[in-house]
Amino acid sequence: MTFTLEAPARPRHRRRVSQMIFRAATLFALGLVLIPAIWIVLGIVLRAIPHFSFSVLTHTSAHGGLENAIVGSFIIMVGVAIIAGTIGLGAGIYLAEMSATSQRGQRVDGLLRTATEVLAGVPSIVLGFVGYIALVVGLHWGYSLLPALIILSMMVVPYIAKATENSLAQVPTAYREGAEALGMAPGYALRHVILKTALPGITTGLLVALAIAGGETAPLLYTAGWNDQMPTLALTGHQVPYLTYPVWAFYNQPSNSLRYLSYDAALILIVFIVTLLVVSRIIVARTQRHADIRR
Amino acid sequence: MAVAPTSTALNEPADSVLCAKNLTVGFGEATILNDITVNIGRGHATALIGPTGSGKSTFLRALNRMNDRVSGYRRNGEVTLEGESIFTSGMDLLDLRRKVGMLFQRPNPFPMSIRDNVVAGVKAHRMAKRHQFNDIAEARLTQVGLFDAVKDRLNKSPFQLSGGQQQLLCLARALAVEPDVLLLDEPTSSLDPVTTERVESLIANLVPSISVVIVTHNLGQAQRVSDQTMMFFDGELAEFNTTKELFTNPQHPLSSQYVRGHIG
Repeated sequence: MTFTLEAPARPRHRRRVSQMIFRAATLFALGLVLIPAIWIVLGIVLRAIPHFSFSVLTHTSAHGGLENAIVGSFIIMVGVAIIAGTIGLGAGIYLAEMSATSQRGQRVDGLLRTATEVLAGVPSIVLGFVGYIALVVGLHWGYSLLPALIILSMMVVPYIAKATENSLAQVPTAYREGAEALGMAPGYALRHVILKTALPGITTGLLVALAIAGGETAPLLYTAGWNDQMPTLALTGHQVPYLTYPVWAFYNQPSNSLRYLSYDAALILIVFIVTLLVVSRIIVARTQRHADIRR
Repeated sequence: MAVAPTSTALNEPADSVLCAKNLTVGFGEATILNDITVNIGRGHATALIGPTGSGKSTFLRALNRMNDRVSGYRRNGEVTLEGESIFTSGMDLLDLRRKVGMLFQRPNPFPMSIRDNVVAGVKAHRMAKRHQFNDIAEARLTQVGLFDAVKDRLNKSPFQLSGGQQQLLCLARALAVEPDVLLLDEPTSSLDPVTTERVESLIANLVPSISVVIVTHNLGQAQRVSDQTMMFFDGELAEFNTTKELFTNPQHPLSSQYVRGHIG
């Protein structure tokens, strides 16, 4: 059979135009993400800076500052990092590494996976209400640190578990086989080879989780309460102040100084989260010195 | 086509490091290896040749139980290492893999420094104290001829090395745990000719203190590095003979066609 090929279609300028259109479309999509973010951050910074005074950092709300809320938010985030971080990491490792090979076991694992996804889908205010009924009232803990930590942890554990599972699943088979062929025990290989590779993804998950926890208001209103004094480390019986409360509550007060405080609180929250981001990037960069793909 | 084995009784059990008896391996419905009985000689370099899908890699991976975790894996028959079954609970899987090391088709250094890569197995098996790690790393890297190239960047990432250097690093890592047997799964198929030659001469130097089993598609390589060759075809062992005999005077019609390049 003989045939003749025609000259390649699609002249070069057409290819260039379609490439340009695609590039512009993706850039536009990126802009839709970035512009509101920049707008929000600038809006907060521009409103907060002109009236910002460092006394905000050193006085409690009882004396026109936010020190108690800063310390409270910090305690809450550290607590969530410890509780949800441990549980989420463990759950993610189970789902990615320990899950069963038998068909029945796989069905059970599928059920567990769905359950974590359902938990992630429960609205935070519902979780908060559950915490209020079951812990604050039911167990007579009152508005306090422990119910807040438990409810916030329940909220973010699915994120951490999912991030852990996904990043473990992305570890190349070659590492696993290499570790296996060297006679490393599964747990040893996990700790020394596999988790290290998955760390950027896990850290990112933990970071997102902490940012969510730090920015959450509704469940805290139900569980932590509010306090214009410095928080204590008491787990129950003492109300805990946190930064999102002034953002929400002070803004509607008929006083300029309280409005300014609400902007200050928003600014401090942003600084919190940016710091978290930078620190986690530094950790990731340090542990990934030897990685083959930079993430 | 039915494949009748020829000359499988090349080594006495007493002279064999690994013996397979009626080994059948399958994944799900498919049977990959059918009734393999063979004695792999101690201190020999044994080449596994055969067309793609003939089961030679599966056979290699059966020898250190790397197939175990593949889904649908099933096995019949026996493999013994120095007379002891590798499947009984008495055989520690981790120790089996220390004794029977493996090098893969693609170099797979771990995401840690070059030095840590070499001693990764040594650490895992607690075979040395921390202060000896440097010396072990240097000795093994020297053994594979990589030390001079990496001595100034032992703390750096292995992924800046060339593919060939990475494979040599993996060889150093495998040798560091002092295996009795080394399984090589097409170890040079992703390497350039110069590095391939270096790996081949290293393999030649390992024998006879380490028994080597090497899967290769490269018939020239099989002739250069091995002294005994197993010819697989369609999940069966078609012929097992000294490399010289198998290539110059093949007994089985299929191996005859394969080594002459008519099939495969």
